[in-house]
Amino acid sequence: MKTLVVIGHGMVGHRLVEVAVERGLTADWQVVVHAEEPVHAYDRVALTTWFAGAALGLAPVAPDHVDLRLADPVVAVDTQAKTVTGASGLVTAYDALVFATGSVPFVPAVPGAKGPGRFVYRTISDLEDIKAAGGRRGAVVGGGLLGLEAAQALQTLGISTTVVEFAPRLMPIQVDAGGGEALRRLVEGLGVDLRLGASTQAITEVEGGLRMSFAQGDDLDVDLVVFSAGIRPADALAKASGLAIGERGGITVDLACQTSVDDVYAVGECASALGRCWGLVAPGYAMAEVVVDRLLGGLGTFDGADLSTKLKCLGIDVASFGDAFATTPGSLELVWADPVAGVYKKLVVSDDAKQLLGGILVGDASAYASLRPLVGSGLTMNPAELIAPAGTGLQLELPDEAQVCSCNAVTKADICAAAEHTPELAYVKECTKAGTSCGSCLNLVKSLVSKEAAKQGIAVSNALCEHFAYSRSELFEIVRVKRIGTWSELLASHGRGNGCDVCKPTAASILASLGGGYILDGEQGTLQDTNDHMLANLQKDGSYSVVPRMPGGEVTPEQLIVIGEVARDFGLYTKITGGQRIDLFGARVDQLPSIWQRLVEAGMESGHAYGKSLRTVKSCVGQTWCRYGVQDSTSLAVLLELRYRGLRAPHKIKLAVSGCARECAEARSKDVGIIATDNGWNVYVGGNGGFTPRHADLFLTDVDTDTLVRTVDRFLMFYVFTGERLQRTAPWVEQTGLDHIRAVIMEDSLGLCADLDAAMEAHVATYSDEWADTLADPARLERFVHFVNAPSVPDPSIVRVPERGQSRPLLPLSVVR
Amino acid sequence: MKRVVVVGNGMAGARVVDELRRRDPHLEITVFGAENRPAYNRILLSDVLAGKREDVTLGGVDGVQRHLGVPVVSIDRSAQLVTASDGSRTPYDALVLATGSEAVVPPVQGIAGPSGLLLDGVFVFRTVEDCNAIAARAKRSTTAVVVGGGLLGLEAARGLLQHGLKVEIVHGAGHLMDVQLDPAGGTILRRAVEALGVGVHLGSFASRVDGTRHVTGVGLADGRHVSGDLVVLACGVRPQVGLARSMGLAVERGVVVDDELRTDDDRVFAIGECAQHRGSVYGLVAPAWEQAAVLADVLTGRGGRYTGSRLVTRLKAMDLDVAAMGDTNPGLEDDVAGQEVVVWADPARNTYKKLVVRDGVLTGALLVGDVSTSGLVTQAFDRGTPLPTDRSALLFAPRRGGSGVVADEDTVCTCNAVTAGEIRTCHSLPEVVLKTRATTGCGTCTSVVKTLLSKAVERTVA
Repeated sequence: MKTLVVIGHGMVGHRLVEVAVERGLTADWQVVVHAEEPVHAYDRVALTTWFAGAALGLAPVAPDHVDLRLADPVVAVDTQAKTVTGASGLVTAYDALVFATGSVPFVPAVPGAKGPGRFVYRTISDLEDIKAAGGRRGAVVGGGLLGLEAAQALQTLGISTTVVEFAPRLMPIQVDAGGGEALRRLVEGLGVDLRLGASTQAITEVEGGLRMSFAQGDDLDVDLVVFSAGIRPADALAKASGLAIGERGGITVDLACQTSVDDVYAVGECASALGRCWGLVAPGYAMAEVVVDRLLGGLGTFDGADLSTKLKCLGIDVASFGDAFATTPGSLELVWADPVAGVYKKLVVSDDAKQLLGGILVGDASAYASLRPLVGSGLTMNPAELIAPAGTGLQLELPDEAQVCSCNAVTKADICAAAEHTPELAYVKECTKAGTSCGSCLNLVKSLVSKEAAKQGIAVSNALCEHFAYSRSELFEIVRVKRIGTWSELLASHGRGNGCDVCKPTAASILASLGGGYILDGEQGTLQDTNDHMLANLQKDGSYSVVPRMPGGEVTPEQLIVIGEVARDFGLYTKITGGQRIDLFGARVDQLPSIWQRLVEAGMESGHAYGKSLRTVKSCVGQTWCRYGVQDSTSLAVLLELRYRGLRAPHKIKLAVSGCARECAEARSKDVGIIATDNGWNVYVGGNGGFTPRHADLFLTDVDTDTLVRTVDRFLMFYVFTGERLQRTAPWVEQTGLDHIRAVIMEDSLGLCADLDAAMEAHVATYSDEWADTLADPARLERFVHFVNAPSVPDPSIVRVPERGQSRPLLPLSVVR
Repeated sequence: MKRVVVVGNGMAGARVVDELRRRDPHLEITVFGAENRPAYNRILLSDVLAGKREDVTLGGVDGVQRHLGVPVVSIDRSAQLVTASDGSRTPYDALVLATGSEAVVPPVQGIAGPSGLLLDGVFVFRTVEDCNAIAARAKRSTTAVVVGGGLLGLEAARGLLQHGLKVEIVHGAGHLMDVQLDPAGGTILRRAVEALGVGVHLGSFASRVDGTRHVTGVGLADGRHVSGDLVVLACGVRPQVGLARSMGLAVERGVVVDDELRTDDDRVFAIGECAQHRGSVYGLVAPAWEQAAVLADVLTGRGGRYTGSRLVTRLKAMDLDVAAMGDTNPGLEDDVAGQEVVVWADPARNTYKKLVVRDGVLTGALLVGDVSTSGLVTQAFDRGTPLPTDRSALLFAPRRGGSGVVADEDTVCTCNAVTAGEIRTCHSLPEVVLKTRATTGCGTCTSVVKTLLSKAVERTVA
């Protein structure tokens, strides 16, 4: 057994241990962790929520692999003898040592900066001190991210707060002058006083508190002062141990995160990698992964990290990404600033406006998730769309004379002319030379060609139909980001004409996915296709079938009896479906309400067999009854079905849960399949039966139920966000790439997870049974008639004949043999 | 009061004559014009330079004594006599100074040739003669340098492009049209101008004109050199106040007038670019014409007061529509209590819009590239009414429905302050010109007027 000593138990140190356990390093290594704080690792990023009572603790590390020594900071390291000495006096020999000492708050060298009533804002114990001190008036020194967080904390404690910032604006690292001004308005609107461009000269104790004096000659009396003006790498121990330190502080490390001394590594905020310290948690995590990989004999490297940030401080959205300050020569800034609406949005694009370089969003950062991935790639849609206020009807068409390919000086008109001749990318490229040099315009050329092709009726365009020049996923993004709530609004702002049976149901589905409420109300009703329109499945003879939901295939005897009685009374043909429920065929439109009345009274609800939404979660009986079952598959299936019921998606969704590896529920043929293991659940995604069968891919192994639910939440919602119209998860997974999906929902690589989670929470919270809602409202019932002009007359064309003890439709002679 | 003498036959002078004649057919009106041609529309000179238009003459009323090509040399205020260059002496009961302004020639090294006049190939851009001379020279030139990147300079550049010349603009300020635009708006304009192939050199003043017998280029203060065999000076104008000064009238930047456009001599008035009213000297035609109308009322005993113009500048700068009004300087980063700055900038599409709002009232606005909402914005600016909470309504035209619905009270012709309602009472373009004078200024409203007329005709036919 070798020994790995980790100094520091912050977020990065904790992650390092987690990764070590996950990747099996602990099979050969004993891990010893020295923590300075007396508490287990916690989520420092969310520190502010501590005052509001949030639990911050991170998942505990497994004690059988790790010797965690709390409140025992390392006081000395001997790199010759390869030992560390803790404050407790304990000396530990190491084979590998990792510094994860993080950083310490920076307190400016101001006379009187230390003493009673003066605090820093870094650890839970700092927060406890601030809370214990209390007071009426507080000042926070520092108007950056940390400063605003501290201000929020003080506000939570009911302390009236002044933020003192040396720079002329708030968050000077993340936002520009315009963004800072928007932020100032928003922050002041929350009752926080601001002193910008103020330099604190001294803090003196006066009767009843502290007096801060500023360079401008004025002063401010407060009860407490919190310094939150940045951090410095905690590199003192490393320095004392003889490790090389970077010019601007931090332990110098190479691409492998190795310090100047063999077998000694540094990760997180204390490390100076690629010549700088990385003050965010994500690069720290990346470094932790690298070190574990190296200890396992791998070749992982830390190559820098994207410093894009999206955050909420004081409840205000702020995002900053890419070249936010437009330092790229010739770059252009697209701006929407509306102080009344409280938003400032800026995009930086290349001088030819074909590449998104970065941006700043203040007040409303909902476009971040869509914009962030576009950075550095060619643009096909005008990014201004995503920051413009709703309903602006921007003219998005490029003018004919716009130069699309600047390398070869090809205009839009040239490309369109070529595409008109032969609407194929290869031909257009050969003919015009567009996109043959640097290639940055290819996306644009492609979209022009497909538009031309669509014009000629050739279906290569990803545009939904002639009414919308967007694919479903683009439209979804538009609806979501611009919070469009109705069809008319969407058509007016982004479509043309009156819509058709392609775009209308798609729009209806998108609106429903985003919480549009009862799907048949108002104009939404007119958008639905036939099935959704009647909340039932149309059959070939013009009658409808009725499928009540049976979560996990479970049904009570009383419900079975009611179903039987309903079938008998209305003359319905009954059959067990492949999704473990019962389908009742042959109902006339005018009978649907009476049928559902009785089903709903018996405690059943719509099974959404008619919707592009969750169908069923199939399951075996599992551990409860089965001699082979290792988990309770039925309960999980019921939980999942109740969670995702009614979720509108690009296409139908089917799930299954098997209670053991025998896989009786056929989970690997489902969009999401779950198979029990001895240790939890394995999750598979992207399976399909049907026309093009596909086995689902293994996505997660041995997870607990909470992780499983969170993962499936995100997987489904990501599919809802980005799937195309009538695209099942199987082709979607192949198109999107399993690794990418994993990165997005497991590592939050797009910063999208919070949005995905929120969307799913909203779905779960607002779900309501469509049939119960229909029955409760006479106005909604009115649509269930065969003849709108003779509501009481049943459809005479529906004729039945008996077969095997039930009735079936009378088919035309030619069909019956 | 019977005899009115007008000194100056430019747009202001011609207009006051017209207004006087409309009010009183018996007045004895005499006009002296320095240029030997009938009054013409100076705004359209760049069209002349571009060869798009030949005749820009303004229609003149009958029964007026016009002395063209006869500048006034002196005025005897005590005798109330005007002496002209032809030796004639004309008595007046009321004298109107409408002498306008002259082009500024910057005092830079080498600008004067051996003769003491402008070096061969260097021109100012103010009169029809200037235009003709530039056009003639352009035929044997390859590269033109326009000194001055204001509105006039851009107009000159536009005209020169039509002659197939390579055009370079040098401008001392940090951005083009700095009087009307803020830096961001100037950036948009610069991109649009450069897209037309015009070179733009900002941030340094011309300090030297190169060439011994004829011009070869312009040197900038920071050492840059821009070559060219034709140079147009578009460095602004200054009021022509020499005559007023020699008469002993109060002159500051312009001839000082009160709300009746009266100078400190009861019988002498001044209007247009030579006049200074409440500290402002206006360089646009709309105020000059407003002043002409007020003065005509005053001189015909109707009584009237001119209280200043709210400047709404609408123009086409190198094919880019621009509307500017009020205080357009405040920026997003300015932290002024009660002030909001709303901005939409899409430089990729040459669009820039800015509203400056103080305490809920629009105090300035700038629309560049897309002026589809300029009607709404102008109204909000003119009336000072509180704005809707959704500011975007003022910046973005509704996608459908909105167009074509011009309210009767909306101003269509800003030069002559004519509303859509007034146009709707007419049946033909000549009738519009006669009754309202709409379209006779910068002419940009012509298409709107025609649309309104066609609708009016449809209405009567139906």
